[in-house]
Amino acid sequence: MNRYFLYLVLLNMIVNVIIFVPKILIEYRYNGAVMGVLIAIPIGIALNYFYSTAINRFPEQGLPEISANSKHRWLKIIHFGSIQLIWFSAGLITLVGFIDILVRFINPEMPKLALLVIYLAAIFLIIQLPTQRVVYFMEIVLFFNTPLIAFIIFKAFANDYLSWDSMLEVGTHIFERPSIKSIAAATYCFSGYSNLIIFNRVINGKLKVLNFIAIFIFGVFNLFTTFFIPIGFHGSDGANEYLYPWISTADSLRLVYSPIERVIFLFLMFYMSITLISVSVHWHVAYELIKGTFKEKVSKKQNLLILSIFSGASIAGVIFLNTLLLNKVTVYWMIVRLGFEIVLVAIFFIWARRRSV
Amino acid sequence: MKSLSNWRLVVIILSSIILLNGCGFKDIDKRFFVVSIGVDLAKNSSKKYLVSLKFAIPKASRDSPTEFEIVSEKADSISEAVRIIKTKVDKEVDFSHAKVIVVGEEVVKEKGNAGIYYWFTRRRDIQAIAWVAIGKPTALEVLKVKPKSEFIPSNALFLSLGKDGSETPYVISEFLFDFKYRLIERGIDPMLPIIEAKKDILEINKVGLFNKSYQKLALNPEETKIVSFLRKREEKSANKITKGKIVVVIDTHKVKTKYKIHTPKGKTPYIKVNVSLEGTLEEATRRVPNEKLSSYEKAAEKTLNKEIRNVLVKIQKANLDPIGFGLRYRSRHFNNDDWEEWKRIYPEIKFKVQTKMQIEDTGLIE
Amino acid sequence: MPSNNVQTIRDHLLNMLQQPEDMVFKENHSKEKYMEALYIKSICDEAILHDNILKPFFEITGPEEFLNFLQSNPKVSEYEDEQKALEELLRGVAILFYQDFVFLFDCKMDRNNAVMDTTVETTIQGPQAGFSESLPVNLGLIRQRYPSTALMVESSTVGNLSKTRVMILHDTRFTDPDTLKRIKKFLANVDIDMFQSGEQLFDSLRKSNKALFPLMLVTERPDRVAVNLSMGKVILLIHGSSFAVILPTVMKDLMASMEDIYQAYWITKFLKVLRYTAFNVSLILPGLYVAVTSYNPEIFRIQLALSIAGSRTAIPYPSYIEVVLMLFMVELLTEASIRLPKAVGPTATTVGGLILGQAAAEAGLVSNIMIVIVSFVAISNFVVPINAFSFTIRVLKYFVLLISSLFGLVGVVLGFFLVLAYMVKLDSFGEPFLTLVQSKPGENSNK
Repeated sequence: MNRYFLYLVLLNMIVNVIIFVPKILIEYRYNGAVMGVLIAIPIGIALNYFYSTAINRFPEQGLPEISANSKHRWLKIIHFGSIQLIWFSAGLITLVGFIDILVRFINPEMPKLALLVIYLAAIFLIIQLPTQRVVYFMEIVLFFNTPLIAFIIFKAFANDYLSWDSMLEVGTHIFERPSIKSIAAATYCFSGYSNLIIFNRVINGKLKVLNFIAIFIFGVFNLFTTFFIPIGFHGSDGANEYLYPWISTADSLRLVYSPIERVIFLFLMFYMSITLISVSVHWHVAYELIKGTFKEKVSKKQNLLILSIFSGASIAGVIFLNTLLLNKVTVYWMIVRLGFEIVLVAIFFIWARRRSV
Repeated sequence: MKSLSNWRLVVIILSSIILLNGCGFKDIDKRFFVVSIGVDLAKNSSKKYLVSLKFAIPKASRDSPTEFEIVSEKADSISEAVRIIKTKVDKEVDFSHAKVIVVGEEVVKEKGNAGIYYWFTRRRDIQAIAWVAIGKPTALEVLKVKPKSEFIPSNALFLSLGKDGSETPYVISEFLFDFKYRLIERGIDPMLPIIEAKKDILEINKVGLFNKSYQKLALNPEETKIVSFLRKREEKSANKITKGKIVVVIDTHKVKTKYKIHTPKGKTPYIKVNVSLEGTLEEATRRVPNEKLSSYEKAAEKTLNKEIRNVLVKIQKANLDPIGFGLRYRSRHFNNDDWEEWKRIYPEIKFKVQTKMQIEDTGLIE
Repeated sequence: MPSNNVQTIRDHLLNMLQQPEDMVFKENHSKEKYMEALYIKSICDEAILHDNILKPFFEITGPEEFLNFLQSNPKVSEYEDEQKALEELLRGVAILFYQDFVFLFDCKMDRNNAVMDTTVETTIQGPQAGFSESLPVNLGLIRQRYPSTALMVESSTVGNLSKTRVMILHDTRFTDPDTLKRIKKFLANVDIDMFQSGEQLFDSLRKSNKALFPLMLVTERPDRVAVNLSMGKVILLIHGSSFAVILPTVMKDLMASMEDIYQAYWITKFLKVLRYTAFNVSLILPGLYVAVTSYNPEIFRIQLALSIAGSRTAIPYPSYIEVVLMLFMVELLTEASIRLPKAVGPTATTVGGLILGQAAAEAGLVSNIMIVIVSFVAISNFVVPINAFSFTIRVLKYFVLLISSLFGLVGVVLGFFLVLAYMVKLDSFGEPFLTLVQSKPGENSNK
C-alpha cells in the first residue's frame, strides 16, 4: 500500500467541498444526481486503475522524465500545455472559490486581493520545492487536519438534527436519468490519481490492489458525505438554496463542550490549509510540466516569468469571477475535465503498453 | 542570493499590504455584541416592525454582572431597522454572538412575514445555530426580562433553550437552520417554543406550530411534552397517571418512539406509533407494592395512548405536520407525485398508538 | 656534535619563533651524549618531559641505546617538515634534537580536562556529567560509552587563524557515506578565522550565511552523542569546546531530550506530545490572540468574548501593539536573566515578571488576559529541550504575529503553515529537516 498515492486521491476528495461539487450534485438531486454518483464511482475507480498501473511501469519518474527523450517536441509541448491548463485551472478554481468563502465568512471587510497575496506567497514557496518535499508537506498538513475532519464528520452523523428521511427522499430519486454534469462533478472526487503525472517521482514499488480498495471505500463514503449530509441538515427541498451547502452545514453544528462552539470556524481553519496544499499540488504539477517543456534548466528569469503568469491569472480570476459566475464556469469545467481525463488516460495507457512491450 | 531576493520581495509585498490594509481590523472592545434579537409588530406607527437588539455591555471587573442595553427601532424591514440602530450606538454592531432570535406572538400569527425569517439565514454573521423562539406577549418584553441568576445578558435563555442547562421535555428548542429547513421541506412543518415573560422569570413550556407561513396552533404544556416524546429529543419527563383514586407520577429516563405509515389497499391508511418508556415511580398518593407495578404500567399505557392520540389528531385537524409524517411518506415512496398523494391521505389518516411503559422500580423505597 | 642539517633546522625554528618569554631552549649534556630540547613551557607539561626524556637521558648510558629508547617511545614521533613542527610546537610539543635526528615529543599540557556537569541540557535522571574542554578527554568519554570497533575517528582542522583541531566521529556501520562526504566537504570549505565552538557553524551551513534554524545540534552530553552515533549521525568534537556537534540534525532531534530514553514508554510519548504542543502554542498563540480579538471575536464563546472585551475596555491602543509590548518585555526579561549573574537572575525575573505584569494590567496598559497569554507563550518556549531551537521559535512567533495582524485568522493558519513549509524546505546535509515520518538516515536519497 502506497500512502503517498492515497494522500493524493484523498486530498481531492476532501477539497471537493470548495470546488462546488456538493453544490452541483445537490442542484441535480431530483434530476439524476443519485444515479450520476453511482455511475461516477466505477468510472472513477477505472480511471484510477488504468492510469496508475500505466504510470507504474515507470517507477520514480514523472511525465517529463518519461518523455525526456521523445523526438516529437511539438507534440510534447501540446500535450504538456493542455495538461498544464487543466491542472492550473483546477488550482485556480479552488483558490478563487476559497478566497470568496474566506471573504464571505471570515474577513468580510478584507479586499480579496490581500488574501490572494498571502495565499500566493505560501503557494509559490511550496510549488518550487522538490516533489519529494511537497509530498512531505502534504503529509504534515493531512496529519494536522484529518483527525479534525473525521471529528466534524462524526459530529455531523451523530447530530440529532440530521434528517435521514430527507436523505432517503433524495435517495428515492435514484431512477432518474443521470445528468452528465453530476457525473462530471462526482468523478472529481476520484481524480486525485492524475497528479501522479508528476508525483509518480516519489512512488516506488507497485501499487497494490489494496490501494484501489481503499480508494473505493473512501470514495463512496466521501461522495455520500458530500452529497447527503447537507441534504440531511437543510432538507431535500431547501439544501439547494445555499450557496455553499457544506459551509452552512458546518455552521449548523454546535460543539457544546468545546472552547470553540461554532464548528464553522474549525471547519474553515481546517480548509485554509487543505486548500493551500491542494492548490499547491495542482500547481506544482503545472509548474513542473512547464519546466519539463524547456530543453535546458529553467533560468531565474524564466522561473519568475512562470510565477508571474500564475499570479496574473489568479489576480484576474479573483477580480473577474464572482461566486455565481465561478459556479457556472466550474460546471462546464468539470465536464471538460472529465472528457480530457478519459482521453488522457486512454492515450497514456496505450502508449505505455506499446512502449514497454 | 536567491533567498535574499525572496525576502526582499516579501518585505515589499507586506509593506504594500500594510498600506492597503486597515480593513477588517476592529478590536473586540470596539464591537457591540448583540446577544439576542427581537422582532415585533410596531404599534401606533406607519412602520411595520419594531426591531429590538439586546446588547451586552462588557464590564471591566468580574464582580458585577454584565449589564445590557436594548435598542429598538421601527422600520418596514429588519435591514432598515439595523441600519438605523447602527447610528444610535457608538460601536460596531456585531451580530456574531446573537444566539437567540425572539419573534413576537403577533408577528408569527400574521401571514406574510416569512421574509424576515429568511433575513436571518441570509446574513453571514448570524449563526445558523441561533435559537428561534416566539415571545409572549411581545419579543421586547422577553428581551427585557432579567432573571436574578443571570450573569451574562440572555444567558438564562441560552441555558434553557440549549440543553446544557435545564433539561425538560416542555422546552422544544429550535435552531435557526432547522427552522428554515422546516419552512421549506415539504412534509415537515416548523414549530417554535413560546417564551412567556413573567416579571423576573422566563417561562418556556409551550410550543407554537406553524404551517409554512404562520403560527396556526399553540399547544399547552402537556401537549408539548407529547410532541417532545414524538420528536425523540428529550427523555426526562414526569407523567401523571391516575388509576382509580390513586395518582402516581412516573419519572421517565428513556423514551423511544417509532412510527410507520401503513397504506393498505382499499382500507383507510393509518400510522402506527410505538412509544416505549422506561422510568421510575417517583410519587404516589398511596403506597405502591412492587407486585402491583404491572397494573400501574397498564394504566399508564392506557393514559398515554389516549393523550398521544389526542395530540396527533389535534395537529392533524389543523393540517399541520411537525413530526414529519409527510416526509417519511415521501422518503418511502419512489414515485414523483408522492407529495400530492400524501396531501390527499393525511387529512383522513388514522393513528394507532401503542405505548409500552416499563416501571423499573419505585425509587429508594417501595 | 649534531650534524649540519639538524643545526640549520634548529636555527631556522628559533628564528621563526621570535624568542617569546615562555620559550625554552635547553641543552643537555651527559658523558657520552648531547641533546637539545625546544618547547614552550606554558603549554608543555614539564613534569612529563622530565620523567620521560630527561631522566632516561641520564640513566641510559649508551648513546645508541638512548636513540633506540627515543625511537620506541610512543609519545615520540619523527620530524617531517618545518611547518608541521612549528604548528606542533605551538600546540605544546617539545622538539628534541639528538645526534642526527629531530624528534617531536608530545608533552601537551591538558589544562581543561575536568569533566563538567551538564548545565544547559539538564535531565532529572540519567547521566549528569557533560564533556570537558579537552579533546582527548572528550574522545575518551565517548569511547567509554561507545565501545565499538566500528567507531571511526578522523581529524582535521578548521579556522584560518585558529587552526582548531576537529575530530569527526562516526559509526561506519550506520552512517550514510554520502552524508559523511557532504559533511567533510562542508568542513573543508568553512571560512572562519577564529573557530572556537561548534555553534559557529550554524551560519556557515546556509549558503546565504543567514540562518534561522539550527541545522545542527550542539550538545554537552556524552550520552546524547553515544545515542546519536548509534543512529548513524556524525559527531564533531572541537578542541577547546565542551560541546559536541551532531550532524545531520532534523526537527525530531531538536525536540528530543535525553530524558526520553530514561523514562517509561507512555511517559515519553506524553512528554513528546507536550513538547510539540508547546512548540505550536508559543508559535501561534500571540498571533491567534490578535486575530481572534480583532478580526473574529465570534470564535470565542460569548462568555469569554465579553470578559476579554471587558478587560480590554481601558486599553487605549489596538491589540497587536498590546501583544508586541508585552512580548518585548518578556524578551527583555529573558535576555536580562541570562546576562545577569546567577545569584541575581531569578530575582530579576520574578520582580520583572510579577510586578511589572501586575502593574501594567493595573495601569490599563495591557489586559489581564494578555498577561496570561504572554506568560503562557514564554513558558511554552522554555519547554523546547534544545536551547538553540527555542531561540528560533522566539523569533518565529513575531513572523506569525505580523501575518496574523494583517490577515486575521487566515494569517494565523497560513503563517503557521508557511513556517512549516519553510522547515520542510530546509535540509541538513541531505536529510530533510521536517517530515512527518522520519526515515532512517541514508534511506532516502536526496534529489
